[in-house]
Amino acid sequence: MSLAVVGYAEPWWIQLVKGLVIGALALQLVPVVLVCERKMLGRFQGRYGPNRIGIFGVLQPIADIVKLISKQDAVPYNAVGLIYALAPIISIFTAVAAFAIIPFSNTVDILGTQVGLYGVDPSIGLLYLFAFSAVAFYGLMLGGWASGSKYSFLGAMRAAAQLISYEIAMGLSVLGVLMMSSTLSLTGIVEAQQGLWYVVPQLVGFLIFLVSAFAETNRAPFDLPEADAELVQGYNTEYGGSRFASYYLAEYLNIIVVSGIAVTVFMGGWLLPFGIDPPTWVDPFVVLAKIGFFAFLFIWVRATLPRLRYDQLMSFGWKVLIPLATLNALVTAIVVAVT
Amino acid sequence: MAEVLFFLAAIGVVGGAIGVVVLRNPFYTVLALVVHLLSLAALFLTLNAEFIAAAQVVVYAGAVMVLYVFVVAYVGGGEAAVGSGQASELRVLAVLFAGALFVCLCIATLGSGLQAIGTQGAEVGPGYGTPQQIGDLLLNRFLLPFELASYLLLLAAVGAVVLASRRRGVGEGAEEPGISVAQLLRPRGTGTMAEAVSGLPAAQATGDRDEREAREGGEERDANDAEDRPRVPPGSPERDGS
Repeated sequence: MSLAVVGYAEPWWIQLVKGLVIGALALQLVPVVLVCERKMLGRFQGRYGPNRIGIFGVLQPIADIVKLISKQDAVPYNAVGLIYALAPIISIFTAVAAFAIIPFSNTVDILGTQVGLYGVDPSIGLLYLFAFSAVAFYGLMLGGWASGSKYSFLGAMRAAAQLISYEIAMGLSVLGVLMMSSTLSLTGIVEAQQGLWYVVPQLVGFLIFLVSAFAETNRAPFDLPEADAELVQGYNTEYGGSRFASYYLAEYLNIIVVSGIAVTVFMGGWLLPFGIDPPTWVDPFVVLAKIGFFAFLFIWVRATLPRLRYDQLMSFGWKVLIPLATLNALVTAIVVAVT
Repeated sequence: MAEVLFFLAAIGVVGGAIGVVVLRNPFYTVLALVVHLLSLAALFLTLNAEFIAAAQVVVYAGAVMVLYVFVVAYVGGGEAAVGSGQASELRVLAVLFAGALFVCLCIATLGSGLQAIGTQGAEVGPGYGTPQQIGDLLLNRFLLPFELASYLLLLAAVGAVVLASRRRGVGEGAEEPGISVAQLLRPRGTGTMAEAVSGLPAAQATGDRDEREAREGGEERDANDAEDRPRVPPGSPERDGS
């Protein structure tokens, strides 16, 4: 059928297994990042962090999740019921869908079948990611609007404005890489980094991408949508129980996704430096280790930098990042055209 | 698989379009339009046009509709339902035009489209609808129309900025950056916010242009910024050089 022509379609059972594995992996990685964040934030701030449940507190996220799931799903009196329930689902759906394009290795031979170690590898590649992050906006926006509360609404408006402002810078920052690799497919981009990771020639693009990644995921120092001093908790103020857990999960999954994209686009994906060529089964662990490094960076920055003011955030995005990213794309275009 | 996807998307497209017309709450109308556009993207996907599908989502659902959602969420309350107090002549006209459009579509569909029923559709080559192929078409074969369209969009953007900056606020020096020809050509009493608020200036201004230009050059305010400058008292001279 037409989807097979486009090249999405592997045998149906492989697609099924992939879907399950991606969903499970997403659900496994998030608690790991969560407990790492809490432990490290504790260390950064000169305290222990969670240390009661399990050895060194490693089972803390399990306890959190059990607590959140077993709570009552209260709906505020003002809320618009259906949309209030739908919004966290949109958030988590887009996060998991975006997670599907991160390649952990190229196609490998499993039991005589060629299986790509990624969810999908569409020819539109990075555009797939931007399409889903465009839809992710509705998760935040509808959640804040449907809660029927001022704090939620203002938080959602901030989140949405921030999201669409920094999406431009993010899109422009990867443009240089796309010109150098002349493909949008993420596996193609990784293959093109054999020998030299794009972080070296595209250092400016990488830094812009990193900064806008912080803003896209609403993380400190850009966590204005949930600036607790002004807005209580932002767009998810009125949410509790498992719906809040969905938002929380989506937020941390977005961190992993953005780290994965940074790894894939700029840091060579599953490739290792200095010409080390390990067997194929090592590849996924290389990607995971690199993602872990970026997740650590996210936590480190959160512990280090104070929050920006809202006007600083906006003027930085529009007046610094976007012109810089445009310039970067322009220079790269000239260099690529000349060489 | 493709058939199931087609019917799901088709239901979404038609349902969303009906929702846009039928729903009374403006916010729900916008959401119905979003559902419609997303389903349309899925339909493009079944037509091997994956780049168009992604562009559809990024541009329409991700940019245009975001603006709609913003505006409706800020100003459009649930109380003022759309379409309630309109004139009956408009309704008659709307029905007439809708009928004419329906007849047009029927002619087009019955005249040509139904010939394709029962076939597998047009043959597509490998790589059809990929970004490579579309980029090749846009930048080689259709370069001139493509560039013209982009200039048209650029013009629209610049025009929007100019229009918006003229109505930035009623504060002193908040509008009319410096001297421009357009300012001389513009008739009195058209356009600026200060004129709308405080009426036409009776006398010529007393010349605080230098200070105004100094302020204008340094800062360019965000659209999001709250206007916190001191308001001009009514009747004070605002515009000079006319």
